[in-house]
Amino acid sequence: MTKEEKPVPLTKLPDVCVRCATCMAACPVSRVTPRFPGPKQAGPGAQRFRSAAEASVDDWIDLCTGCRLCDTVCPAGVPISEMNMMAKAKYLDERGRTFRDWLLVRSDLFGEMAARYSKIVNPLLKKKVVRWLLDALLRIDRRRALPAYEHPTFRRWFRTRQAPKGGGPEVAYFYGCFTNTNETDVGKAAVEILEAHGLKVVVPPQRCCGIPRLGVGDLRRAREMGRRNVDFLLRTVRGLDIVFSSTSCGLMLRHEYGPLLHLPGAEELARRLFDICEYLLGLHEEGKPAATFQPIPLKAAYFAPCHLRSLDIGLPALELLRRVPGLDVSLVEAECCGLGGLYGFKKEKFAIAEEIGKDLTEAIARMKPDIILTDCEGCRMQIRHLTGLKVLHPVQLLRDALERQGEEIHRVPVESFNYLG
Amino acid sequence: MKRFDLIVIGTGLAGLTAARTAIGMGAKVLIVGRGMGALTLFGNTVDLLGEIPPDTEMEEGISRWIASHPEHPYARTGWEGIESAIAAFQELFPPPYNFAAAGRGNSLLPTGAGTMRPTWLIPVTMAAGAAMTPAETLIVGFRGFKDFQGDTVSLHMKCRGVTLPLPRYGLEGLTAPALARLMDETSFRERLGEAIRQQMAGERFIGLPAVLGLRDPAAVLKTLETITGARVFEIPMLPPSIPGTRIFHRFREELIAKGATFRMGHPVSGAVVKDGRCEGIRIDNPPLVAEYRADRFILATGRFLGGGLWAEMERIIEPVFDIPVFQPGERGQWFGERFFEPEAHPIHRAGVVTDADLRPVDTLGRVVLANLRAAGSILAHHQAIEEKSREGIDIATGFLAAKKALAL
Ligand SMILES: Cc1cc2nc3c(=O)[nH]c(=O)nc-3n(C[C@H](O)[C@H](O)[C@H](O)COP(=O)(O)OP(=O)(O)OC[C@H]3O[C@@H](n4cnc5c(N)ncnc54)[C@H](O)[C@@H]3O)c2cc1C
Ligand code: SF4
Ligand code: SF4
Repeated sequence: MTKEEKPVPLTKLPDVCVRCATCMAACPVSRVTPRFPGPKQAGPGAQRFRSAAEASVDDWIDLCTGCRLCDTVCPAGVPISEMNMMAKAKYLDERGRTFRDWLLVRSDLFGEMAARYSKIVNPLLKKKVVRWLLDALLRIDRRRALPAYEHPTFRRWFRTRQAPKGGGPEVAYFYGCFTNTNETDVGKAAVEILEAHGLKVVVPPQRCCGIPRLGVGDLRRAREMGRRNVDFLLRTVRGLDIVFSSTSCGLMLRHEYGPLLHLPGAEELARRLFDICEYLLGLHEEGKPAATFQPIPLKAAYFAPCHLRSLDIGLPALELLRRVPGLDVSLVEAECCGLGGLYGFKKEKFAIAEEIGKDLTEAIARMKPDIILTDCEGCRMQIRHLTGLKVLHPVQLLRDALERQGEEIHRVPVESFNYLG
Repeated sequence: MKRFDLIVIGTGLAGLTAARTAIGMGAKVLIVGRGMGALTLFGNTVDLLGEIPPDTEMEEGISRWIASHPEHPYARTGWEGIESAIAAFQELFPPPYNFAAAGRGNSLLPTGAGTMRPTWLIPVTMAAGAAMTPAETLIVGFRGFKDFQGDTVSLHMKCRGVTLPLPRYGLEGLTAPALARLMDETSFRERLGEAIRQQMAGERFIGLPAVLGLRDPAAVLKTLETITGARVFEIPMLPPSIPGTRIFHRFREELIAKGATFRMGHPVSGAVVKDGRCEGIRIDNPPLVAEYRADRFILATGRFLGGGLWAEMERIIEPVFDIPVFQPGERGQWFGERFFEPEAHPIHRAGVVTDADLRPVDTLGRVVLANLRAAGSILAHHQAIEEKSREGIDIATGFLAAKKALAL
């Protein structure tokens, strides 16, 4: 062992792997390309040969999307995706990250600005020549539509809106960057549905959760961002539960801040964090004050994002949606949408993301749904891109199904997605 | 806190069967597993008792087996229990991708090692393997596909064999799931079928590695049979098993559609026990520990590979409830002289001993926890590998455990 190498806990040693290859049945990437050797090889297999003192040779490690599906099926509890991420971090530390990666992971910083100037920014992002330039200069694939920005941001909307009168127990909401600047209606729906369950919503100060940084193996900055969030949120959780509507942000806050990034206070925070549907379903099941839903006669397909599976809380959105009368909802039998966060925007990975997405597209085509529902913004973007169909967060449909006094006809689900296709 | 009628621990074939049986009885079910279970390793066909000779009728063979093995899990279920559990399994796989027995006793099917192996229920994609004769069979392997050595298979089976390049450039090194996915594509399998047809010299059977599609294997089979004019069969091979993955997916789809809560990826780390009953379980999902409550529990965590049994220095333990485990003597006596012995290594006898209702008991035969049952390979006194009884034990005891649990 060289000086730089710290002892690894026994449960995280590659020798925990029994070489059963179960993870190979789950990996969406090695299922579509022989360029990536799959979790068994890329994770514990290659780990035996890795050393902090020697340069990385595993060029393909960057092809792991970090979906964590391998972790969910391994019978031996091997932290496969974590091994991959660490190896990727080392590989990219040595090779250097591109300007594109530098830029993409900072979308939280320019997002607020872009939202403010969305009238200018959105038409630009739509322009062929701009997309061509982004492709040629930054290797952001021009076939991938870029999400439009919305003004005002969710945060601003929340601050300036006429809050409903009356009390009720408080709950805090972690909205995430994409909801704030690109899909504000998800945030509005989250607030409305929580209020309809008799809760008073507060929105604590918050920053990007940092998961995009993990995608480019930048653990140092992910930790910095995490530390800021823990500081902000701890004050809140010392009294309140926090719900999140983005499964990826939620996974990062709840399960990576502590076990991976070792942030002080992470455990205290994790105990009071809930997926919004998990939280609402809990209210319904425990007989607490809950909203009632009016019929929505639609055929819906629900897709369970990878990071929701990693949260390992079952499928609370599906269970909640089943409580909407008239809604014919079933689960899409597909494993992964393929986008992998920023992965699918990258030119060299676009084809892989498309190929993974094909299985999902075909599964949806067989179901012929009126509407698709899924909890992750990445999945929503990808499914819109692949199918051209209407894709919502489950809370948007639930909000539309709320029984309102004096309102006979339910609202038509939001039409404007501000999605440049 | 949410309360379930039944919590099943283990997402292998035994746990999946128990959960499905319970759902069918109207129960509110949570099923949890730390990984996917052995289906993706060995799951291909359904063995009941490969040990009995192919010319013996299955019911007769098993009834005799039960009479001479009163401690075997089959002695708990009886032939009737096996029969109804197997029928329920078959219902889950309606045609065209169905499972059926090829005769009144075991049938011999070719394996990826080039041997013939006895089994009971056969998926439609392997059925022709039970009818093949070496002289009339062509074994097809794929260039660059390491998990299936067509040459070895054909050599051992005394058939003719060919190794074909895949009909698309740049696919060498693909894994079984990747190949299976490509087979689901009509144009790919049509081109493959055409390439196989060109190699044929009057054969009536074609054996391929078991990668004939994940989504619609019966359609893959049909395309290949139509183009080649021969009967096509899959040959089970190294893990991950595609046929086993199909079984897992079918169960998961059914369970979720019928309202079961399905959790996978984290281990059950302990139980809440009070007054001789189990009240709840804890699932480790760092940094959190989630607690779930239920009225009844079924333990179907498998053996050593999945962590259902754990070998300490001198003792074998059951880590979730720490219930008594039948010990195969001292460590020096656990293993035979050689790895491949005709007799099972004594360690394989280890496991959980139960009463007739599948409730774990201690050495004095006393029930340990009134509302806990055990099912599947974790049970003691079977030698699933040597007897070739793995799936039969899983399905029959999973079914019985759920029936008994909910009859409370
Ligand atoms: C998919 C797969 C394919 C394989 N292929 C081959 C092959 O082709 N050729 C080959 O030779 N081998 C192969 N092996 C390896 C071989 O089968 C096993 O490693 C070995 O036989 C262990 O037996 P087991 O399965 O009963 O042990 P396991 O089920 O792995 O259980 C091992 C037990 O031993 C205990 N243990 C380990 N060390 C100690 C210790 N020091 N003190 C006390 N207890 C300990 C552990 O706690 C564990 O409970 C393969 C293994 C797998 C999983
Ligand atoms: S994290 Fe996803 S992409 Fe990476 S190895 Fe695991 S399953 Fe494959
Ligand atoms: S599933 Fe786990 S134990 Fe099996 S090969 Fe993959 S990493 Fe190893």
